[in-house]
Amino acid sequence: MVKAYSQEYVYKHPWDRVTSASWRKFADPENKRVLSHILEVDTLSRKLDPTGKLYTTRAITVHAPGPWFVSKIVGQDICHCVESTVVDVQSRSMQLTTRNISLQKFIEVEEKIRYDPHPDNPTGWTICQQETRIRIKPLSALASMAEKVEQKCAEKFVQNSAKGREVMERICKYLEAESSGLAL
Amino acid sequence: MREKKKSSSSTSPCAHLRAAYNNCFNRWYSEKFVKGQWEKEECVSDWQKYRACLSEHLEDKHLSRFLEAEGLVGSINQDKLENPADIADTGASQ
Repeated sequence: MVKAYSQEYVYKHPWDRVTSASWRKFADPENKRVLSHILEVDTLSRKLDPTGKLYTTRAITVHAPGPWFVSKIVGQDICHCVESTVVDVQSRSMQLTTRNISLQKFIEVEEKIRYDPHPDNPTGWTICQQETRIRIKPLSALASMAEKVEQKCAEKFVQNSAKGREVMERICKYLEAESSGLAL
Repeated sequence: MREKKKSSSSTSPCAHLRAAYNNCFNRWYSEKFVKGQWEKEECVSDWQKYRACLSEHLEDKHLSRFLEAEGLVGSINQDKLENPADIADTGASQ
């Protein structure tokens, strides 16, 4: 069983600003309250190549309490994820892929996010495309209730992505104000 | 479960170094990198300090393994770019 879904969102801000906001999303302490499921984010590696591609790997620790019957089987409500990001500044693209590296014997979650300039307004807007795949391992203790767990998991992801967008919008506004302040 | 919670903040001794590095990176990213000045990598000393702290405090097995693996992946990729024939040979012999 695999549960997959995709979401699309348009930011009415330029790509530069939106991708800057994406880096700040988990780093700014004032977002901790809204994104309370994110416990810790650490940069594990960062490489810049001469053509303007920036590669980053971050470790993300997520507090993901499931329904009680899941917690009982899994035995922990902390999940470690690794996020790999490639920013190609010349072609103006940012791609993030996040996978869980713990609890893998129960579940595999992969989330892909892309930020590109919006085709209708490339200098002013940014399109965000997000794809999430959730898979309960067929032979795990959760297999018999796979469908239910995947559904619950997907609902949680949708809620959390809404929170993420709210934070992104706020940072974009802040960056916009900051840049117009600098321009004055 | 309590133990797990504790390990989740195992890198908190690095919080100050992390914040300093993040601030530096975020500024570089929005003021230089996206504006086309990407040739020069900045924040190097902040990065080295933060990274040294991480390698000391990253207790979690999953993550520290990844930290090491990541370095290897990076160097393999570089080899691949420099000498694709070598990698093709290695691939065939495996």
